Amino acid sequence: MIRRVTGAAAAVALLAGLTACGGGSDEAGASTMLTYWMFQDRTPQAGEVVDKIRADFEKVNPGVTVKIVKIPKDDYNTKLGSAISSGSGPDVGVLDQPLVPRFALDGTIKEVPAGLVDEKAFYEGALETNRVNAKLYGLPIDHTAVALFYNKKFVPTPPKTWDELKQIAAKVHQADPKTAGMVVPKGDGYGGWMWPGFVAGAGGDMVDVQNKKIHFNEQPAVDALQLWVDLLPSSPREITDSDKSFENGLAGMMISGPWDVANIKDQFPDLQLGVAPLPYKTEPAGNIGGENAVVFSKGKNADLAWKWLAFITNADNNTQLAQALGGFPVNIAAAERDAATFGPDQAAFLEQLKVARARPAVPEWIQINDEIIAPALESALSGKSTAKESLDDAAAKTRTLLGWTG
Amino acid sequence: MTRNVRKAPIYIALVLLALVSVVPFLWMLATSFKHGSDVYTRVPSLLPLDRKTGEWSPTLENYEHVLQVGGLGQAFLNSVWVCLILVPAKLLIDALAAYAFARIPFPGRDKLFVVLLAGMMVPTITLLVPRIHVTQQLGMFDSPWGLIVPNVASVLDIFLLRQFFLSLPGELEEAALIDGAGRMQIFWRIILPLSKPVLAVVTITSFIFHWNDLVWPLVVLNDPELYTLPLALQQLASSESGRAYYIMAGAALAVIPVIIVLLIFQRRIMQGLAFTGLRS
Amino acid sequence: MAPPVLAEKPTVTPRPGRRRRPGFGRRDHLIGWLLIAPAVVYFLVFLLFPALAALYYSFTDWNLRTAPNWVGLANYTDLLFDDAKYPHFWQSIKVTLQYTIIAVPLTLGTALIQALLLNAIHRGSNFFRLLLFLPVVTAEAAVGAIWRWLYDPQYGLINTFIELFGIPRQNWLNTPELVIPALSFIAAWQCGISMIIYLAGLKGIPTSIREAAVIDGAGPVQRFWRVVVPMLRPTTFYLLVTGVIAALQVFGLVYVIFSGGGNRSVTGGPEQSGLTYVLHLYLYAFRYDAMGAACAMSFILFLFIMIVTAMQFKFVKQEAS
Repeated sequence: MIRRVTGAAAAVALLAGLTACGGGSDEAGASTMLTYWMFQDRTPQAGEVVDKIRADFEKVNPGVTVKIVKIPKDDYNTKLGSAISSGSGPDVGVLDQPLVPRFALDGTIKEVPAGLVDEKAFYEGALETNRVNAKLYGLPIDHTAVALFYNKKFVPTPPKTWDELKQIAAKVHQADPKTAGMVVPKGDGYGGWMWPGFVAGAGGDMVDVQNKKIHFNEQPAVDALQLWVDLLPSSPREITDSDKSFENGLAGMMISGPWDVANIKDQFPDLQLGVAPLPYKTEPAGNIGGENAVVFSKGKNADLAWKWLAFITNADNNTQLAQALGGFPVNIAAAERDAATFGPDQAAFLEQLKVARARPAVPEWIQINDEIIAPALESALSGKSTAKESLDDAAAKTRTLLGWTG
Repeated sequence: MTRNVRKAPIYIALVLLALVSVVPFLWMLATSFKHGSDVYTRVPSLLPLDRKTGEWSPTLENYEHVLQVGGLGQAFLNSVWVCLILVPAKLLIDALAAYAFARIPFPGRDKLFVVLLAGMMVPTITLLVPRIHVTQQLGMFDSPWGLIVPNVASVLDIFLLRQFFLSLPGELEEAALIDGAGRMQIFWRIILPLSKPVLAVVTITSFIFHWNDLVWPLVVLNDPELYTLPLALQQLASSESGRAYYIMAGAALAVIPVIIVLLIFQRRIMQGLAFTGLRS
Repeated sequence: MAPPVLAEKPTVTPRPGRRRRPGFGRRDHLIGWLLIAPAVVYFLVFLLFPALAALYYSFTDWNLRTAPNWVGLANYTDLLFDDAKYPHFWQSIKVTLQYTIIAVPLTLGTALIQALLLNAIHRGSNFFRLLLFLPVVTAEAAVGAIWRWLYDPQYGLINTFIELFGIPRQNWLNTPELVIPALSFIAAWQCGISMIIYLAGLKGIPTSIREAAVIDGAGPVQRFWRVVVPMLRPTTFYLLVTGVIAALQVFGLVYVIFSGGGNRSVTGGPEQSGLTYVLHLYLYAFRYDAMGAACAMSFILFLFIMIVTAMQFKFVKQEAS
């Protein structure tokens, strides 16, 4: 769209004389080229998996080349945003879950064509992260959730409920004041991402998008935040703020995702790691993460792009792909067939995924999470205000930002 | 003898400062030779020691991994080429401009310089996207020229060079002018030789900057064949996997050329005016 | 002793003969223009045009994806006055000013001390110079990792060190009041580039002037204040101006310390105590989908930097006259 700003033409012409080297567009190839953007591989093995799936796709679609561009996760949105703005974006690519509603509402991505896939073949929670105003705008390619990591040396049996969690944390700290009960999440973007899982565990909800109502200052949410506050005395920050405190045996428990299991086993082979579902108050619950893939409106070969997405999420390929991405298959048939291959450490995450809930489909959600909810959590955790006060304040700010009057 | 004694406190201070400077570097090197399970010890060790036994247990496996993953050799060459063209070209453009700004009085010069300085004050992150657009309009997107041309001058360096040129004594230059030498002759024969220290500084800093630059190559390149070293290093281990030992092995390889450049040009910094016969 | 060459108005330098320009006129102007032409073209295309484009976007609601809509001054007024929309704008200004005030003098001071020490020795100076420069070339990931460890509340060496003096252990990077001093200290540790610029400046002091001062019977301290400091004034001025500009735009350091891998959040440290202006700007540009507002932020900062820099230039001129 910046092409409209060609007032620069004069300056551009000036420089064109200096540089005798126009790159030129090499779009015209013998074969059809599909450009797919994804996050950087976690491991070289993961890269090989992706490569194999690509080769298989090219085999069944003669004349098609899939060009895969891998981008470090931290820089992905910066590159994607600037590329879209200059018209050099991909045809199809990975998109963070909370970005789907934004991109869908402004027409940057296409709606999934009817009949492309059987929606029932996917786990509902993962598929829902692609739904905006009852329409589907992308496909999940893997999904993931956080669970409770515990050190069997301090915690022989993991807690199931919040009360047990508090008791065990207190016991661990009592037994050795130099050990923290649990690494309590912080009031930052990451903590804000995990917190809804606890809210849901008390039977609560964050927001009601349809009726434009904020729920995250109601009792279940207040209880969830109060739980974190209550855990702090047995889990002092000066212990848990130490780098890798759980891995180094300074804390009995922490919350993390499947990607951490392999790292811990690799780098801390002596840690007696156990993984259990998140403790809850009234019902098991958790949050959902993972990657979605979408087709860009300005991309080429949309039909082929959808075909590619259907291919990587089908029952044959999805398990391998999801494991390479550090998550779990979203295709139910694939997941059930390969359930046995995940190993005992992964069972807790699978449990968690059954009860996982999607983030609210609000385009401003990332900003609300980082700028409003996270500081509210921090304010309660640092004792500057009570849980109720800080959440009421956050709710009011969110209402103002979204223009919700309810 | 007394001279050496008087210098003892200076050496002691330097040793202390150097220790603080060198420890993280050593940690980087040590980590690059460590087994994965020996990296995160409670107290970081500056030697590749076994976590449990404390015995000497280095490994080359990180380097093997880094070199095998591929793309690194190509990326290394790409980076070398880009820097070989970019750094001298930038130095020349900046030095010419700085000389004019410092020494040649022409109408509008000082106003122009102020405008240039102002350009340095716009946060670069905001300029990122419009710069990509310009680069694309020029047909240099996703090409090596897209790494070079958009970086080929620097107001910061012009400013530094100008400050230095201003501080050079004017007598020699004026004598040469009276003798009928042209501006360019003066630039090549008098100004540049006198400016070796500052030219070395600019060379070193801009080499380090472009050798390590990640953001611009990231946004302007799509083709993995063109990736520069920092991009290829990112490829090794995504930030989330936390495998510091691979990153450190790659970083240790990447730092070698920087040290070579540093060793070559550092000497120039020390060849100040003392060697140019300007003492009198 | 020759008076120092001034940073700004070279023409004021009372060196005789400087203003008499023998034998050139128009031709010299032309050469001047030719010499700056490449830099000026670069400047127009890759600085001025992008800056003007960003200025235009600052009056729009641009999100990088859809066509920008003109919103007038709304971004600016919202940033300055709408606390609900930009709850941490003023916080980011506070953080950045604190950082600039602490980090710039600390960095310049460290750099000058290192350069003076290096300049005072001959044997081993190459070796020490290389070592002191290593922080600049150490991989960012290593810098982040090692400083997080040095500041670690449990095992950090810095806590071990201050305990020797009876100061209680601190949780450096997680205590809002300590974040900025901790970051400034890392900046000073990475002062290698300022150090070599100072070193080049020191080498530029003609030996004759030093020798003259020695003959006049000036001791080392006197020589420092009467010869070194004035002669280094252009260098200090350059480092101060660029140091302040860089500090007001600090970004990479915060990013490395608070997001160096794992799932650390980039939202700027405990209670936004490390949320610098440009980090805040970056988040709005690329994370919160408000490139238009981010551009407005950058022009507010631009104006501020202009004013600060103009004041620095003016101050130097006054000193000079």
